[in-house]
Amino acid sequence: MKKINILTALLAILSIGLVSCSDFLDREPLDQLTPGGFFASEGDLAAYSINSYAFASIQPGQYGISTFGYDNGTDNQAGPSGSNIWVPGEKKVAASGGAWNFSSIRQANYFFDNVLPKYEAGTIVGNQSNIKHYIGEMYVIRAYAYFDKLQNLGDFPIITTALADQEQVLIDASKREPRNKVARFILDDLQKATEMLKDEPPFGKNRISKDVAHLFRARVALYEATWEKYHKGTALVPGGEGWPGNAEDIKDFNIDNEIQHFLTEAMKDAKIVGDKMVNNLTANTATREGMDSNFNTLNPYYVMFADVNMEKYPEVLMWRQFVDGQTTHNVQMELERNGGSSGWTKGLVESFVMSNGLPIYDPASGYKSDVGVNNTLDGRDSRIVIFTKKDGDVNYYYADGSANIYTKPLILNSSDTRAITGYTIKKGKHYDPEQGEIHHKGTTGSIVFRGVEAMLTYMEASYEKNNTIDATADSYWRAIRRRANINEDYNRTINATIMANEAKGDWGAYSHGELVDKTLYNIRRERRNELIGEGMRWADLKRWRALDQVKNYHIEGFRFWNTPYETAYVDANGKSLIKVDPADGNVSPESVSEYLRPYQIVSINNSFYNGFNFIEAHYLEPIAQSNFRQTSTDKSDLTKSIIYQNPGWPLVAGQGAK
Amino acid sequence: MILSYFCIYYLHIEIGYLIFTILLRMKRKKLFNLKGLFTLVMSVCVLAVSAQNITVSGTVTDETGMTVIGATVVVAGNASHGTLTDIDGNYSLSNVPSDASLQFSYVGMVTQVISVKGQSTINLVMATDAKLLDEVVVVGFGTQKKVNVTGSVSAVSAKDIAARPINNVTEALQGVVPGMNFSTGSGGGALNSNKAFNIRGTGTIGAGSNATPLVLIDGMEGDINMINPQDIENISVLKDAAASSIYGSRAPAGVILITTKSGKEGKNVVNYNNNFRFISPLNMPKMADSYNFALYFNDAQPDGNMFSDAKLEQIKAYQKDNSAQSMWPTSSNKWEVWDNLELLPVGNTDWLKTHFGNSFTQEHSISLNGGTEKLQYFISGNYLNQGGLLNYGDDNKQRYSLNAKINSKLSEKVKIGYNARFVRSDYDAPSYMDGLFYHNVTRYWPIIPVTDPNGFYTGDSKIYQLTDGGRYTSQQDQLTQQLSFLVTPIEDWNINVELNYRTGNNFNHTDWLTTYAYDVNKNPYVYDNATSGVSEYAYKSNFFNTNIFTDYTSEFGDGHTLKGMVGFQSELYNDRSINASKNIVQSINHPTLNTAETNPQNTGGYGHWSTMGFFGRVNYDYVGKYLAEVNLRYDGTSRFLQDQRWNLFPSFSLGWNIAREEFFEDYTDVLSNFKLRASWGELGNQNTDNWYPFYRTIRYNKNNWGGYYLGEWLLGGKRPNIATEGSLVSALLTWERIRTTNVGLDITMLNGRLNGSFDWFRRQSLDMVGPAPELPATLGIGVPRVNNLNMESSGFELVLSWRDVIEDFNYGVTFNLADSKQKITKYPNPAKNLGDYYDGAYLGDIWGYTTIDIAKTDEEMNNHLASLPNGGQSALGSNWMTGDIMFADIDGNGAIDGGEGTANKPGDRSIIGNSTPRYNFGLNLDGSWKGFDLKIFVQGVMKRDYMAGGMMFWGGDGGKWQSMVYEPHMDYFRNDANHPLGENLNAYYPRPNWNDGKNRRTQTKYLQNAAYARLKNVTLGYTLPAEFTQNCSVSNLRVFISGENLGTITKLSKMFDPEVLGVGGWGEGKTYPLSQTISVGLSVTL
Repeated sequence: MKKINILTALLAILSIGLVSCSDFLDREPLDQLTPGGFFASEGDLAAYSINSYAFASIQPGQYGISTFGYDNGTDNQAGPSGSNIWVPGEKKVAASGGAWNFSSIRQANYFFDNVLPKYEAGTIVGNQSNIKHYIGEMYVIRAYAYFDKLQNLGDFPIITTALADQEQVLIDASKREPRNKVARFILDDLQKATEMLKDEPPFGKNRISKDVAHLFRARVALYEATWEKYHKGTALVPGGEGWPGNAEDIKDFNIDNEIQHFLTEAMKDAKIVGDKMVNNLTANTATREGMDSNFNTLNPYYVMFADVNMEKYPEVLMWRQFVDGQTTHNVQMELERNGGSSGWTKGLVESFVMSNGLPIYDPASGYKSDVGVNNTLDGRDSRIVIFTKKDGDVNYYYADGSANIYTKPLILNSSDTRAITGYTIKKGKHYDPEQGEIHHKGTTGSIVFRGVEAMLTYMEASYEKNNTIDATADSYWRAIRRRANINEDYNRTINATIMANEAKGDWGAYSHGELVDKTLYNIRRERRNELIGEGMRWADLKRWRALDQVKNYHIEGFRFWNTPYETAYVDANGKSLIKVDPADGNVSPESVSEYLRPYQIVSINNSFYNGFNFIEAHYLEPIAQSNFRQTSTDKSDLTKSIIYQNPGWPLVAGQGAK
Repeated sequence: MILSYFCIYYLHIEIGYLIFTILLRMKRKKLFNLKGLFTLVMSVCVLAVSAQNITVSGTVTDETGMTVIGATVVVAGNASHGTLTDIDGNYSLSNVPSDASLQFSYVGMVTQVISVKGQSTINLVMATDAKLLDEVVVVGFGTQKKVNVTGSVSAVSAKDIAARPINNVTEALQGVVPGMNFSTGSGGGALNSNKAFNIRGTGTIGAGSNATPLVLIDGMEGDINMINPQDIENISVLKDAAASSIYGSRAPAGVILITTKSGKEGKNVVNYNNNFRFISPLNMPKMADSYNFALYFNDAQPDGNMFSDAKLEQIKAYQKDNSAQSMWPTSSNKWEVWDNLELLPVGNTDWLKTHFGNSFTQEHSISLNGGTEKLQYFISGNYLNQGGLLNYGDDNKQRYSLNAKINSKLSEKVKIGYNARFVRSDYDAPSYMDGLFYHNVTRYWPIIPVTDPNGFYTGDSKIYQLTDGGRYTSQQDQLTQQLSFLVTPIEDWNINVELNYRTGNNFNHTDWLTTYAYDVNKNPYVYDNATSGVSEYAYKSNFFNTNIFTDYTSEFGDGHTLKGMVGFQSELYNDRSINASKNIVQSINHPTLNTAETNPQNTGGYGHWSTMGFFGRVNYDYVGKYLAEVNLRYDGTSRFLQDQRWNLFPSFSLGWNIAREEFFEDYTDVLSNFKLRASWGELGNQNTDNWYPFYRTIRYNKNNWGGYYLGEWLLGGKRPNIATEGSLVSALLTWERIRTTNVGLDITMLNGRLNGSFDWFRRQSLDMVGPAPELPATLGIGVPRVNNLNMESSGFELVLSWRDVIEDFNYGVTFNLADSKQKITKYPNPAKNLGDYYDGAYLGDIWGYTTIDIAKTDEEMNNHLASLPNGGQSALGSNWMTGDIMFADIDGNGAIDGGEGTANKPGDRSIIGNSTPRYNFGLNLDGSWKGFDLKIFVQGVMKRDYMAGGMMFWGGDGGKWQSMVYEPHMDYFRNDANHPLGENLNAYYPRPNWNDGKNRRTQTKYLQNAAYARLKNVTLGYTLPAEFTQNCSVSNLRVFISGENLGTITKLSKMFDPEVLGVGGWGEGKTYPLSQTISVGLSVTL
């Protein structure tokens, strides 16, 4: 009995011991960081800012031609199907999602909320210039996010702090600010960035640098300046007729002053970068192939877009790296081997002048003919020559040094590998068989910012501002033309330009439905030709208001009919594979055009059969329905929202613009 | 090592084969030749034959002197030799050995065995079987007489789950416990995928918390899938709050109490049993053949044809003669597979059939038990070797368990018990067998041959990746130790002290090795995993649990009984883990971290949580007629901050057994038990997914492993560390509560032949953690969760069972039916946006369009569109034509659209069905006759709607890479009389177009009826007569054959199995198939 009592007592003590242990239930996380302790060192800031990089680039693991196809759906480049931008009513308000999203903005604001007090108090440990640099990066990141909103939505709330989860606070913060204020806000952020960023950032040009901030600042300023200039008076600009914003918000607003301001800023920042670039443009040897079979560079300008290490090109201000075993992509599988489900349009190809500087329609141009891609490109601006696959070009080299040859445009491939227009994209293409044939071996870099854009921006901004080509613009323009291997004298081109001819294949010939002057057109042409396949076209067309005239417009590709291509596509028995049939054909009929019309081959399931059409509302994106509900005082009445929809768009999901 | 493995493997197969032959032979001879069988199996035994036989007769009466009609009288040990008492209770049995014993049995009476000893007259008074009344069920911290239970409790005994070829306890419970619902896990039928279950339907839709039932094994929280089913004595399922509230905040979703077997006083008993299972895939969909596939793809491609006429000819030629050319080289001398249309292969492969086939599993169990009055022991061991269905690159799983339990009486007042249980589970499969594999194997084109013209497997067959691409192995160990003391200071006062400790270890290994494919010239080239690698994961957990409770029973005389219990419980769980990986394995035979070269990555962490609770219970009972119970639990948890850590949870229940009322006294043989029950209780839920839901954290990844990822924006060629803001935490976060009201009825009728039980319940899940009221997007981060959801689950459970004996035929029928549905009573969605739940919605509601039909002509479509003047069907898509769906204009607005996408403005959508499985049922039939026993078990769901999506349902869905054609997809719309497959205007599927989802809306035409009934198990056993086996000291020998998943009745699309709906990481239905099992085995007791 005694023994048992002792045992019982022992057990009781043990259990009471557990009970009395007051902190038995106090259990904090053991292996996670709390916000208070973070942002304490240089490394914390670096890790946070790099995670916020959202710059347009090739994405890890990506298939297809990625950035090189971002111009699909414009007058430059065509994908397998048109975009619903071109069918009024087909582009619809979404139920939720879309550009009205603040996550990247909050990400930046959360950083500023936490870092700036510590930075000002000087309590962040590490290399102070690097710490300053990372804060500067975050200003670029916020500006980049805001520029995306400006382009897609225009008027947008300006939020500079990570907001609390209180409904009224968030509703109040949802009020849209006029787009010019948004643009000024972006320029302010970028101004701060240029003051904090290093010229030579840690890890080189994989990170944001001071020049990147200048270049981007010029881009934003030019965008807003030209937008306001060409859309002036419309509902898409503050104060314009039908603008849905609040008149109080634009009390001191004078649009012409605003335009001048943005043009001035654009010129200023563009010149900082442009002056560094003008004598440092990557050399263009204009060789037919960019690399030899040992992947030695034959043409630096060509290789710049496909190099695995882009650090060496002064013209590349920032790039994204891919390394086998770390992250890779699959972009070369299409670029090297097939049509990449894209293609230059006839309009784009024809906008390139001859190397003598004359447009192809000029009687003295020496233009051969458009029978065959080789003939079409003979004697032309070398940019279209080196960046287009011509019959007989090298796709890639085998290990034994022999070449895989591109024999003809792969217009009959299935849609994901097809040469949509017959003019196959060669920009960014490497020659490495491993990258081309094996999945997840793509290691070619991805250019994020290229310095030459600053020169083009300066040329355009200064001309828009002063209506003349100043000395700086002159030197820039000549440098660009020199590098393209065309006659430096741009006046030769300007003088020979016939706008009516250019208008057929270049929407940029127009602003608000009217043809622009020849000089401005040729500045725009230069920009178009230099930046092909770099995803800049859509933004340019919008800010120039160059789509008003797009009515029943047919995208065309290479000339198929009455060329040797007609009989080039046969099966093993010599039987033609070409089929003209609106139900299941594979080329467009000769009756509509001698040139391949990718959207007029099959009529079923095809909203683009009768061409592209544009309406003004499509210059801006609609805001998704859920956002009106979330910011409405009455959740079942969308019209009670503090947010107004973009002009022309309804509030309800599934409906198109009028 | 490999050699010994094979030896064991074949030995097992031979044993299996032996038994199989025996059964076959039995079948062939038609008449079961018992002697022959006996000789075969037990040839060492010697037959002993008895001497003189006599005739015995007599009368059987009950305690009140009434004659017992229909009582069974048999010669003990020879069930076939017997008779029944007649209307006067008389019997007469001839040819009885004078030294034999007679066994008298009758339902509801105690079976008696009387030695004949030469007597020719034996009269017998049979006693009412008090066992039925004394039958106890395990409840929280104790047991209770079943007749006195006032909460909702289901009990399952060992024999209910014995002898089924199941792999774990979860499988055994499906369809057996009414109110328990099961769903197939994300891995489908894979060996490492367990079924998930709940009690009475979804308990919470709260994000960040779960309401999975608490599983207690001998009083300690444990893993139901890590216990040997043979060790189980019984299982109690506590369904309502009154029954489970004693377990406090860990038990809001119900409790499953598993009690394992203990040693029994008496002679040493040894039991060995085994079974050998022959397994095949169940309900695997059939891929279309190569030609049908090609025609479908041509039609599904919106622009032009993928397969030219010449290609179609080649495909047909190969189907006719598979020596024809099937593959063509590319310009780089590889076999073209996907891209160049002219060079596509023309094989004819069903990839599912190629990769999944038959397999074999075996299980062996042994147990020893016995003891004296002072000391009893039970020792058991179990070995389960499961084979997977993979045809290439073996997948398998082993479970080993060893269990020992000792109970000792230290003195009259103190008992001590110790139990140690070790379970190991080893899983081994190709590392390539992941979601991507299922995705690939379900969508790969049939035109790809398994082997290339040189005889190598094609790269895209994935066979080399399975066989040579590396292995994933997982070893899980659990060691449970339980020490308990029972002190009885005075009679009726018990003090229990239980100290439970469990350690768990996991070691997972993954290696991925470079695999090669072969080019046209038979040269290998890297196909996958160009960079080989290895990763290791180690996890250790410790769980310590103390239960101290004491109860006192007091009978006040006059039939009043009061029982009180108070107790304390605490739990402490902590764990740690380490992950590490490296690349470039130097030796493919020994892929370890030490033999790998580059890119070392590692992570590791610690975690912990704890709970503590005080509880008490009072039971009152007046002669078993009036019953009452009150439970209280005061519970604290580490998951919540100090100010709201502690909570009080009460429950009450009442019972009234009307059959005990005086006015019922004369009818007790008809109705012996008629008990009404009612209960109410409330519980908190501390089962948050995040162990520290109140702490904001920064996500800072410095490694690329174990759920952490480094940045993908390379810096200096390396992936950088990344950090991001952690989720917001709401200041308003607090407990979820679950409140249950239960009303029930238990009846026992006709001398215990008929038993029934009915429960109706309403369970309110209150203040569940859900999304905050939708907030404006300006927040820019996920809205923090707060307690703002209420849901109500209501339903019923019904069990009816019948058990009787007709002559030698003892049979029983048990039918159970359960239903529950869940209604959202509060949800932060005032607009009733259909993308989310809303007030008044039922869980599983399916909103969809109403289909008129497929338009058979353009004219029909145009007329339909013309009838919709305000926009036609353009909100759903464009280019409407023949073969497309015509939708009904439900809201009559002259256009087909989704309105504002809210329940109030749903446009032309309406609730067309509900995907919650309703009226789940189980039907168990069993019968035994002269040593034979047969069990038939059917389980199913009587009502369920389902809208399947994705490639597996639609075929062409998302371009050629995400489309595949199965045989049912060929029933698609064709309006071309010259089509090679003929016109098909009355098709099930609309015209295919893989780029355009406009016809693939959720709609009435394609809503599936997912109700089913499945013949889950049939078991036929035969127990050899004891007279034979006893002679060689075998007290029992039973052989059996059993089949699992033998047949299914359902109207569901053939692409899916009714038990695997909604499963597949890469899309609906893309998962490992379930299996069908035929097993044979034996059980010997010495």
